[in-house]
Amino acid sequence: MSLNEELQHHLQLRKGDVGRYVLLPGDPGRCEPIAALFDDAAHVMSFREYTTWTGTLNGEKVSVVSTGIGCPSSAIAVEELIKLGADTFIRVGTSGAIQPNTPDGSLAVVSAAIRDEGTSSHYLPIEFPAIADPQVVDALAEASRRLGLTHQVGVSQSKDSFYGEVEPERMPMAEHLKDRWAAWMGGGAICSEMEASTIFIIASIHRVRAGGVMQMHSGEGEVNRGDLLNAAVESLRVLIDADRSESQWP
Amino acid sequence: MSSSETNDRQYHIQVAPGEVGRYVFLPGDPGRTEPIARLFDEPRLVAKNREYETWSGYLDGELVSVTSTGIGCPSAAIAMEELVKVGADTFIRVGTSGSMQPDIKPGTLGIISGAIRDEGTSSHYLPIEFPAVADIDVTRALTLGARAMERPFKVGISQSKDSFYGQHEPGRMPIAKRLADRWDAWMAGGAICSEMEAAALYIVAATLGVRAGGVMMILGHHDMSPMTPEEQAAGSLDNLLPSAVAGLRTLIEADRKAAA
Repeated sequence: MSLNEELQHHLQLRKGDVGRYVLLPGDPGRCEPIAALFDDAAHVMSFREYTTWTGTLNGEKVSVVSTGIGCPSSAIAVEELIKLGADTFIRVGTSGAIQPNTPDGSLAVVSAAIRDEGTSSHYLPIEFPAIADPQVVDALAEASRRLGLTHQVGVSQSKDSFYGEVEPERMPMAEHLKDRWAAWMGGGAICSEMEASTIFIIASIHRVRAGGVMQMHSGEGEVNRGDLLNAAVESLRVLIDADRSESQWP
Repeated sequence: MSSSETNDRQYHIQVAPGEVGRYVFLPGDPGRTEPIARLFDEPRLVAKNREYETWSGYLDGELVSVTSTGIGCPSAAIAMEELVKVGADTFIRVGTSGSMQPDIKPGTLGIISGAIRDEGTSSHYLPIEFPAVADIDVTRALTLGARAMERPFKVGISQSKDSFYGQHEPGRMPIAKRLADRWDAWMAGGAICSEMEAAALYIVAATLGVRAGGVMMILGHHDMSPMTPEEQAAGSLDNLLPSAVAGLRTLIEADRKAAA
């Protein structure tokens, strides 16, 4: 295989550029603040919406790679990262709260995701559940507890249309969108974002671990973004320690 | 709740409030309820109607129950709906299932973290895109139970199907190719076993705001090849039920700690 073939087409990364543990924000601008929480962080690459930083945590190589918004670009990122040897993914980002009385800025540890998007159906029939790895779910809950952060474990809606969620009334299919939103709420879904379901489905197929932590916005107030980033980074420490002890989950 | 309602027995399961605990095992087979109840302290038969047989007893001083669901999601959904109406809020599906991976041997316990909604019932509750996912606390407890009993186990996704013979004899169905293609897709997705109730139980639990999980004895082989006598012995329910009970004890203890 030539070097060119080893170069991943969209991420522009080669083997060794990333660790097995990867945080996945949507926004390329969020990579640097996350990497600032790593030891020895260095910028590796920026190409299209994909920005990559790599550093260490507890002496283990870890990375943060932005996915861009939505499942299509996230699927590409995860596929190429798996080719490079990554096997543990944590989606980190912002989301809308679905349930009433959700504390603004509290964290959602995503246990599974509603496949309200088009990408994951290119992989598996729609009946297949998009679920997070239970060990990653537990690690994120443990990290939130350690940091004293308000959090809940639950289901996320992964949608393809941002404005279909926030301005459904102006869409030609307004009633359909509103009915389905009511159903997601009735099913107990806690937050709405745009990437988790596809990341979970691709992880299932490749037998790698994935999970997600989302900060939930329910109002107009400012929230402390540091809580989200700290929880994500702390969960990697939990997983790194568990993996080193080679103990089976839980 | 009014006194007339509290005296009401539920339409299908014929159970009244107070007769079951908040924790309920859900086997498919009515004949399996008594062997499970024998693992409780002070087991007693509560009700028996259609495919629904209910026993209650105690584990570590906590009232617990077992109710059979019959085969399939339609009757399982009815059982859960009515059990929630009489006070149950935590469900553990127990039963047998078929292996879906070459490296999963008969006798392995499948702890069901999520289920493929390859059935009709759960779509009467939520659109098909919604994930049928087990409660993480129940899944963790069942995993600890299997480990305590030193049973081989695997945490993963089950296929919840409506047609037993569509799985076991797909070649004779008019939609044979579709059944085979989808089986291949479930395997490629990493599904570990095939059974007939988990998806609807998990979706109904989500809509009712209660907890559900499941532990299945995995039998057979992913390619339907026959089991050896040793493999059949490994698949005995005696290798499943003590682990399920140990898991529930773990959950009861964790719930008591959380409440304290």
